[in-house]
Amino acid sequence: MELAYTLLGLTTPILILHAFSIPLAKIVKSEKLPYILAFTASLFAAISSSFVLYEVYHNGPMIYMYGGWPPHFGIVYEVDALNALVGFLTSWVMLAVVLYSYWYRHHLDDPVWYFILLVGLETGILGCLYTGDAFNLFVMLEVLGISAYGLVAYHRDKAEAVEAAAKYALIGAVATTFYFTAVVLLYAGYGSVNMGVLALASRSQLLWLFYEIPPSIKYLTLFSIALALWVFTYKSALFPNHFWLPDAHPEAPTPVSAALSGLVVNVGIYATARFLYTIFGEYSALGEYRIVVLAALFTLGALGGLIGALMMMTQQDIKRLLAYSTISHVGIAYMGITAGFLNGSKEAIAYAIAGGVIHIVAHGIAKALLFMSSGVLIDAAGSRNLDEMRGVGRYYPLTSASLILGFLSLAGFIPFIGFYSKWYIARGYLDAEFPIAPILIIAISALSLPGYLKAIAAIVFSTREKPVNTVKERWIEYLLFAMAIALIVLGVVFQYMWPFYESASKELVSGYLEYIDRAVDKIPLEYRIFISSEIERMLTGVKP
Amino acid sequence: MNLEFVNSYLLIITLTSLLVNSIIAIYGIFYRPHYIKKVIALTILSDTMNTFAIYLGYRRWIDNVNPRPPVLTTPPTDEALDSFIRQAVDPLPQALVLTAVVIGLAVTLFLVFQGYILYTHYKTLDMREIKKLKG
Repeated sequence: MELAYTLLGLTTPILILHAFSIPLAKIVKSEKLPYILAFTASLFAAISSSFVLYEVYHNGPMIYMYGGWPPHFGIVYEVDALNALVGFLTSWVMLAVVLYSYWYRHHLDDPVWYFILLVGLETGILGCLYTGDAFNLFVMLEVLGISAYGLVAYHRDKAEAVEAAAKYALIGAVATTFYFTAVVLLYAGYGSVNMGVLALASRSQLLWLFYEIPPSIKYLTLFSIALALWVFTYKSALFPNHFWLPDAHPEAPTPVSAALSGLVVNVGIYATARFLYTIFGEYSALGEYRIVVLAALFTLGALGGLIGALMMMTQQDIKRLLAYSTISHVGIAYMGITAGFLNGSKEAIAYAIAGGVIHIVAHGIAKALLFMSSGVLIDAAGSRNLDEMRGVGRYYPLTSASLILGFLSLAGFIPFIGFYSKWYIARGYLDAEFPIAPILIIAISALSLPGYLKAIAAIVFSTREKPVNTVKERWIEYLLFAMAIALIVLGVVFQYMWPFYESASKELVSGYLEYIDRAVDKIPLEYRIFISSEIERMLTGVKP
Repeated sequence: MNLEFVNSYLLIITLTSLLVNSIIAIYGIFYRPHYIKKVIALTILSDTMNTFAIYLGYRRWIDNVNPRPPVLTTPPTDEALDSFIRQAVDPLPQALVLTAVVIGLAVTLFLVFQGYILYTHYKTLDMREIKKLKG
């Protein structure tokens, strides 16, 4: 369909255009303009990502070529079932975040700068997800990064917020610099920065080149993967790189915490999957090291899940508690995504990876919902401390109901989608005869239950002596409740949604040939020979 | 003296200094306590990586062929193109570096302003004393 194709190419430029039109509000002296522009931008993104998902699901993946330049010569957006699904999730949750920001406006002293950064953040996330170009991924990571740093520091009269943002930004800038180095090294080794062509070049046997990939290229690939994975795990706060998250997420404005915890961490998980399955997946230059890298990520995911769950128990601050829960759930999602190191059957691995994808969706909605409803209750209690929030939920029944439903989904209770994600990860690992993973997932779920129950018991099931602040504009509770209902509905209609998750995981497990095919298909025939001889020259090291 | 020898010698010097530079920069970012020194070390790191990208796109003097900028000034005849391909350095890393430099400028500006706001709150930029957060 022509429309979806156009919308795919328009999404990020239109969003950036909106973001930089927001300062016009200063000139025309309009109070409402920032809200209107941010709302139109996020609505546009939501609609176009829905079209993209529909198109990908019905007519297969698509490629948008900017300026008409084919892959390898220009920047392309390559969308398959996986990134279409995550992009769909991102833009709709972001729409809810923008609506919530309108409710949150009494905390925003200068909404103009806030909304530039928020729309910039959405641009960065969608750009990272949709792009088919490793260098464009770097640019979009920086767009995402700078917006996120600025949003964390938004309450600049609070010393903690500025400190958290400074620490996040300093290490984040180092990480993205390393990713730049990784891309340059990959370019030096393979002669391309396009993901499809890189995936082709890393599998020289596909070009009927009858020689082994030389060890120098192998070690170069390993080194660049190590550098790239550092930024991906940093962005997604996988265990040893999680240190910034418990500071940065609670200190940000509440809608931003929702966007950071629910959506930004997905970018790192997605990029890791893309690099370790599609670009340097099976039969690639990474060879046997890929198994080692995946197994290491699995271990880190399990450790992160356990540590996040344990740290959650001791928190007194509701937003810090939710932040540690994010670390725990990112660990679980990594456990699902990294199933490729198993020896089991393809179906078993596909189940576990589908579980990881479902977990991205389930955690994204639930965590955004929890941060947003905790924001309402924090306003009512006037504090983030669980002791001072005791019983405040009794005065806001709809918000408390959504809070409880969100926690239940995260904990993995049955009618919710959060159950199916853990179930499919566990089932995949069980089918592959690797029973440690299901045990770990059960342990993580069990360990995180006290943290959730503590928050629910303190907020909803205690009595309150102190008076409650009145929260104006109670309509926001309906939005929260609608998101909570979405968690149940996604769980109840799971059988009908399963094809989406299944095709997303197929794209990772066995879709690399199609991914390469689609990219190469767009390259005119006379250039294909040139590119293949270029790759051959690069891999053999023969200078012209 | 042999030109090729001088050329390889200079390239090896460049590579060594890039390596040393990046080690110093990483040390500076993680172990120097002062915030501004961390930011300076970060700019050193990103400039090192940018120079490394240029270095990878460069080509050595082979058979006394002088590398030249990737700009074709003559009409694109076959001979002109042939000598261009043999002489010109790779333009893509330069384009990548241009993008990275602009982004690096924005990040550095952000970090410096962040440092100013940090100073107004804490009256110091020593990161050992800026620790209201538990981590």
